[in-house]
Amino acid sequence: MPELLGADGFAPVADAALELSGVDGVEVLFLHEWGGLTRFAKSEIHQSTNREDTGLRVRVVSKGRVGVAATNECTPEGARKAAQSAKEMAEIVGPDPLWPGLGPVAPTPQVDRFFEGTANASPEMRAEAVADLIGTCAPGFTAAGAYETMAMEVGLANTEGQRCWAPSTQASVTTVMSGSEGGSGFAETFSGSVETIDAGVIGRRANDKALGSRSPKALDAGVYPVVLEPAAVATLIGFLAWVGFGGKGYLEDRSCFSGKKDQQVAAPTVSIWDDGADPRTLGAPFDFEGVPKRRVDLIRDGVFLDAVYDLRTGKEAGVPSTGHGLPSPNPEGPFPLNLFMDTGDATVEDMVKGTERGVLVTRFHYANIVNPIESSITGMTRDGTFLIERGEVVGPVRNFRFTQSILGALSTTSMVGRQAELASEFFFSASRVPALKVEEFNFSGVSDH
Amino acid sequence: MLDVAKMAVEAATAAGADLADARAGTDETESLTVRNQEMAGIDRSISTGVGIRVLVGGRWGFASTSRLEAEEITRTAVLAVEIAKAAQRLPGEPVTLSPVEPAVASWQGPMQEDPFTVPLEEKVALLMEATRRMQSVEGLTFAEAGLDFFRRSTWFASSDGAAIEQVVLHSGGGTEAIAVGDGDMQRRSYPNSFRGHIKAAGYEHIRTLGLIEEAERIGQEAVDLLNAPECPSEVTTLVLDSGQMELQIHESIGHPIELDRVLGMEEAYAGGSWLTPGDRGKVRYASDLVSITADATLAGGLGTFGFDDEGVPAQSTPIIVDGVFENFLTSRETAPVVGQTSNATSRADGWSHLPLIRMTNISIEPREGTLAEIIGDTDDGIFMSTNTSWSIDDKRINFQFGCEMAWRIEHGKLTTLYKNPNYTGLAPEFWGSCDAVGGREDWVVWGTPNCGKGQPGQVGRVGHGASPARFRNVQVGVR
Repeated sequence: MPELLGADGFAPVADAALELSGVDGVEVLFLHEWGGLTRFAKSEIHQSTNREDTGLRVRVVSKGRVGVAATNECTPEGARKAAQSAKEMAEIVGPDPLWPGLGPVAPTPQVDRFFEGTANASPEMRAEAVADLIGTCAPGFTAAGAYETMAMEVGLANTEGQRCWAPSTQASVTTVMSGSEGGSGFAETFSGSVETIDAGVIGRRANDKALGSRSPKALDAGVYPVVLEPAAVATLIGFLAWVGFGGKGYLEDRSCFSGKKDQQVAAPTVSIWDDGADPRTLGAPFDFEGVPKRRVDLIRDGVFLDAVYDLRTGKEAGVPSTGHGLPSPNPEGPFPLNLFMDTGDATVEDMVKGTERGVLVTRFHYANIVNPIESSITGMTRDGTFLIERGEVVGPVRNFRFTQSILGALSTTSMVGRQAELASEFFFSASRVPALKVEEFNFSGVSDH
Repeated sequence: MLDVAKMAVEAATAAGADLADARAGTDETESLTVRNQEMAGIDRSISTGVGIRVLVGGRWGFASTSRLEAEEITRTAVLAVEIAKAAQRLPGEPVTLSPVEPAVASWQGPMQEDPFTVPLEEKVALLMEATRRMQSVEGLTFAEAGLDFFRRSTWFASSDGAAIEQVVLHSGGGTEAIAVGDGDMQRRSYPNSFRGHIKAAGYEHIRTLGLIEEAERIGQEAVDLLNAPECPSEVTTLVLDSGQMELQIHESIGHPIELDRVLGMEEAYAGGSWLTPGDRGKVRYASDLVSITADATLAGGLGTFGFDDEGVPAQSTPIIVDGVFENFLTSRETAPVVGQTSNATSRADGWSHLPLIRMTNISIEPREGTLAEIIGDTDDGIFMSTNTSWSIDDKRINFQFGCEMAWRIEHGKLTTLYKNPNYTGLAPEFWGSCDAVGGREDWVVWGTPNCGKGQPGQVGRVGHGASPARFRNVQVGVR
């Protein structure tokens, strides 16, 4: 298995770039990742892979002019060549009037997110777990999905003297079970450690959903109360981050939160924050500019407080970076990668019991933005959509298309789940969210299955 | 680098592979973005490595590495074999491959002017001037312009004796005008959204785009949209421009015809397909006017190549003929399921990924008439231009698209401008309602460089030749 290069191994590579002469500043971002994925469909393992790659991203600054070059030749010579290429670009472009400087020296939070068992997970171990999962399939049903184990190390060094490095691992199991009479069920789990993953449990959850969703009935489109399980909530929160929480869009009046600082934007039951240093999330405790990730309260008790910032947007806003910079160059600005939504005191069963007529949604599928300023998105329900009547789940319904403002949904959120689950809507990001009861949710169409 | 690929194949065979192929490769990119006459981003990247695919006991294994020392290549080959053996933990039908003649060949797409050698100063000056022209429009908030260049060099070798060198080169550019005001934001893009018009070509393509010439028009349209009414909600006749047709074809025809998706191999990720393996020649997918071709030899398409990543020569395959579904996109593994040989659509997102069935250039065959003539022939309806948003269900049948702008068509003329237009439908009903497909005059080969598929996620670069077209009884203005 590959091994960590480590801070000491990264240092001489970084130094080769930092020695570049004739410029004002150099930053070297180092990424090394490896891992395997065992993919299955029709209850057979059909695509299993393993990959290892490294990356160096060198940002060079000369009189406020910035150039960036990336290479996966992770050697001192590769770093030198990338630095030279970045310098050539920096010499040609105009200066950035808002250039904030490179990340200053700052201690980064110490978190332990590297688990040897995950980093060294073998194809045999994943195959065994997949066999356990598939073993939970009811007759007439098959399983599809993936068990992925990844390890990564991120390092950053710059000519300001900032040096940081952090390893981490993550593991995930996702499955869809489908079969007779249109039944389909979904379950997933994410963790830093394979030790906490029980693929059989995931299989049983998906199997229960699949059995329960056979022979779905058509239900008219319209506005319904909904109970959203955590995977569905993760879609809403992930897209809310995209259309709202980044400092760049916020400052440019392109965010659904622009002009709404300290205003009520959601029900008082809703609180959302980002905290890359929290042990319950994934990834590095510093951003891709080497700035320590800070907790940022985004929405507290339904009131929007602030966005997240990187060095450049922080300078524009007159505030320090909150540690949310992405790899340069990054025209889109900062992004929250470690979101949390506060829990409440309800269970999904409580939410169902409190619903006269509504819909229970397991997950959403293929969502996309309709109107970012209105935080409006569209997408489908999938793999377990059920009708609730008089406080009970009475049967499956065909999948809906929804077209809904996220803040509109959060404004009618009446109940919040007592347990949060880690989920991921976008690559490299994770959110820990509970189930929600939303009183008004717009299903704008119905599919044929 | 062909030696690297051959070394990997030898190592895999020595480790016990029944069949092995390897792709050594290098991806190079250059990207420039200017915003309001300031450099928002300029970067280059280069990535090199080798991916090794093996078949052991009828099961696949794949491993890749960025380190090309002999010892590391051997380790990776052995790992690929171990992965294939681990897959035997579960029962299942062994993979059988359709035959292919091992090719020894070299291929490179046509290109007149290498974009990587065009001076950066020239590229920056083009983008600066385009944004300056856009900013001359009163009320415009942001003017953006970008260029993207991509070169993939691949050296493929197989235990059957194939040895193929191949280079594809893509160049693209575009502008985007954004107007912000009164709690609203409107955007216009040129020549298309999401970084413009990307083609398999050199820098000569950039010189034809007219980024500077069209800049003020795009800027003005963005500002005009701020004051336009919302697209009404109704069932009406819908005319789509060529740029929106690109994504309509991509999502509601290109993906459902992927045979791996039909066979359930993508079920847990983006989902399956409403088609079944027995549908060839039997299912009416669209009206008689609609014929769709998958053509990996199409000039300028991002899905154009000499050989796919299994070493199968590029082909042109009829997909829908006069509205009737005829063929899937297939790979060597899936083609035997429908009694065929591969039609060469198995491609990977570079050296580090396993090849999957990917669209090549999935195009609608042009019929007759210009966009203006289609609009002139429409008594009442809505015309929509330029995609902003897309969503489709897990059977690739229920879709919803958003566009940048729309106009009311009244008695053959464009009248009221609308903002935030969108429309929804079910694929076979929608395509069945098509009663006009434009001719060669307005048929454009567009590039989609961001098609997601697979686990781990892969990004595919695919092409679509598209004409404007008209559809009847479509729900627009979804809220």
